[in-house]
Amino acid sequence: MDKSALQKELVKMLGKDKVLCDELDLMYYSYDSSFLTKLEPANPWAVVMPHSTEEVQQIMKLAFDNNIDIIPRGAGTGETGGCVALKGGIVLDLSTWDEIEEIDAKNMQVILRPGVIHAHLNKELAKYNLFFPPDPGSSQMCTVGGMVANNASGLRAVKYGCTEQYILGLEVVLANGDVITTGGMKARCIKNVSGLNLTKLMVGSEGILGVITKIRLRCWPRPKARGIAMAVFDNLDDAPATVLDVYQAGVLPSGIEILDSSAIQAVNLFKPEINLPEAEAILLFEVDGNPPSVEYEGQVIKEVAGKRARNVEWSTETKRMAELWEGRSITATAAARVRKDGSRIFAGEDISVPLAKVADTLRAIRALGDKYGIKVVNYGHIGDGNVHTAPVINPENPEEVERVMQLVHDIHLLAIEMEGSTTGEHGVGAVRRQYAEMEHGQAWNYMKEIKKAFDPKGLMNPGKLI
Amino acid sequence: MEFRKLPPVQEQIMKCVRCGKCRSVCPVFDEIRNETAAPRGHVFMVQMLRDGQVNPRQEVYDRLGNCLLCETCSVNCPSGINVHELNAAARSYIYEQNPSIGKELIFDTMWTKPGLLRTSTKIMSGLQKLGLQSFARNTGLTRMLPGDLPRAEKIMSSIPSQPARNRLRKINRARGEKKYTVGYFLGCGTDILNPNVALATVDVLTRNGCDVLIPQDMKCCGLPHIANGKMDTARLLAIHNIKIFNSYKLDYIISDCASCTSALSRKNMEFLLGGLKIEDEAFEFSDKVMDLTRFLVEVIDIKLPVVNKDDENIRVTYHDPCHLANAQGIKEQPRELLKRIPGVDFVEMADANRCCGGSGTYSLTHYDLSMKILDRKMDNVMVTGADKIATCCPSCSMQLRHGISRHNYKGEVIHPVELVSQSYPKTLPAK
Repeated sequence: MDKSALQKELVKMLGKDKVLCDELDLMYYSYDSSFLTKLEPANPWAVVMPHSTEEVQQIMKLAFDNNIDIIPRGAGTGETGGCVALKGGIVLDLSTWDEIEEIDAKNMQVILRPGVIHAHLNKELAKYNLFFPPDPGSSQMCTVGGMVANNASGLRAVKYGCTEQYILGLEVVLANGDVITTGGMKARCIKNVSGLNLTKLMVGSEGILGVITKIRLRCWPRPKARGIAMAVFDNLDDAPATVLDVYQAGVLPSGIEILDSSAIQAVNLFKPEINLPEAEAILLFEVDGNPPSVEYEGQVIKEVAGKRARNVEWSTETKRMAELWEGRSITATAAARVRKDGSRIFAGEDISVPLAKVADTLRAIRALGDKYGIKVVNYGHIGDGNVHTAPVINPENPEEVERVMQLVHDIHLLAIEMEGSTTGEHGVGAVRRQYAEMEHGQAWNYMKEIKKAFDPKGLMNPGKLI
Repeated sequence: MEFRKLPPVQEQIMKCVRCGKCRSVCPVFDEIRNETAAPRGHVFMVQMLRDGQVNPRQEVYDRLGNCLLCETCSVNCPSGINVHELNAAARSYIYEQNPSIGKELIFDTMWTKPGLLRTSTKIMSGLQKLGLQSFARNTGLTRMLPGDLPRAEKIMSSIPSQPARNRLRKINRARGEKKYTVGYFLGCGTDILNPNVALATVDVLTRNGCDVLIPQDMKCCGLPHIANGKMDTARLLAIHNIKIFNSYKLDYIISDCASCTSALSRKNMEFLLGGLKIEDEAFEFSDKVMDLTRFLVEVIDIKLPVVNKDDENIRVTYHDPCHLANAQGIKEQPRELLKRIPGVDFVEMADANRCCGGSGTYSLTHYDLSMKILDRKMDNVMVTGADKIATCCPSCSMQLRHGISRHNYKGEVIHPVELVSQSYPKTLPAK
């Protein structure tokens, strides 16, 4: 089936309002946030916006019968090219399918379709005193479906972990159009060890095994109180050391974030009202729970961090906490502000290293930045060793691009050398496959076999993860 | 100036990391929900234009035109991209390759000649009064209009018969002690559609120690031209107005129109005239430009007479025009002004700074989408139960009046300065 015939068939199947075929429209789906697609945008043959499992099934059967690639997509906020059709095919834009079907407050769970925006979900859950704890920086725009497909986490993974811990079951449409329900057909239980855990297999599978069309998600009780401590350091090494000190003191914050001097500068340039102090590094500790414990833990952090920090600010005031947390959330893109003729790029941005090696890693990244003559803004979830690096370059200067790609490669190798991983939460996508193979050894081949079992024709999101 | 050499095109496109933050704040994207309407998509398309990956054709304009230029994405962009400037520059570039007689007629012939514009609207007003608009609607004649106009013409209801300029003198002396000489930039929308706002502006300014000069030969601020791909004409209009106002010795140049002050601002002058010979003159001009509510609160520090009134307080809510809140960061001053008016109970509406969907000519060219955005706004307005919806933009006023009519709501749209003017007792002598 050629492209034109495919487009006609899709319009006939779904109606013209749910299908984009115009070449100009298709260009808008040639990118996500990755540097890869900035350099090499790639158009799909068609974009469809299904709103039912049956519609997805029909699309999958059409694609299966005609050997056409399927690329699931949420809000396109990923950083790995994961939702881009590298070699044509049908992009399934699931972001408009955004019904919260049921908030089952008595069973502490929610059933939703993949396009629900993360922040919107938590706004609705708050009405029941519940929340979905993973807290990506892209909360305002990313979809929960995308979070599941990438096993996203974010700023509160220190205490609350990743998306996978909250997924009780999924409805998945497979490449041949079959629909499976993982976690039990009628199950509403929280604990369930029956059968092989296909739910966990699907979470983080980046669309290479099937299309996630429904999500049963566990919710947690919303903490009654929050507080944020900001510790300011004159010496970068003191920041990771303080993280370990706080753990040693018996406190498990809900989030521990680091911003280095460049990240501080970027935040202040974007939102001067946040007014972060100039320093080599800042740590933000968030604690949550009941009011007395929050206050107690806040004081412990203040005391422990105060031993190395120049200053520690403890706040339970809503406005200030929102400012500080927002400051960290927006660092990812505000990093571009540190250079007038530059942009941060999303490449080599997600390494994860052992806690005891965070300081060595940060030092090594600085040295690599110096070696290649590239400014690197460092920030991230230091509490779980997930360091986000933001090289800031002029992406339209080919020489700089060449240099930064070498830097990115070295950063990935550094992560592996440090006994870490090239990706803590953003995924492999199209940009880290070579490193994934290095990380997994023989297991890599078994992953390929699993992929074949679900997708014998290799039509599901080809060129990603595996 | 050549498209590719414009500063935003040269400097800002590469800053977009396509993070998608703009998707979460764009009122148009919220309705369309696919990437073709995302502001980052517009930035991408402008890049494709710049790089010659797409040709400057009408289909590209249509996609870029699906944007209110409300600047919500620009103020929320972590990378600091002025998305609206890129979009406007691209529209202009495409228009140059695809000119249309209709647009030339409207934007070059009519909208650059205030006299002609006033005459045209006066004729429309006369036709309305003769009942011909209703006749045309009832007989289906309006359905023959092009594009969205058969539905959008409803927005253009009750045009006043006399524009403000026919009722205002060129020089209006301060009543009482003179403090400032201000030039009043009387925008087209206020002049033609809301003449009572202009009368109130002059009344309040003169009561508060201002000599108010209204140059008779000023022209449109150029914002409609920027939005419709006529940047060259907008430049000519800006230069004309700069020369006119700079020929007087003025302390401030005041306008009650959010769109005008944003178009005359330094930021917009940098966009339009940056790097040209006239740049310094332009900045001298724009540095004097100030929104009326800001002037009354921050410069005049207006105090209003407290009078014993038997009337009940009126409930007033405020809608932020995008060109005031986003383009100029003016949010507190209009609210503060309203709160200083005796007898006003100010009530904040939810999402007050969310666009109403009017955006100048957008509601005329994209009527159905514009109405979806308006309906969300009206939901928030109606919850407040406000008697008056205050706003500082003629385009927002027109759109909100249409919203009131669509929803059969009891409220009335008003500029804060009208309430200020009304708060002076008729018997109370001017200061």
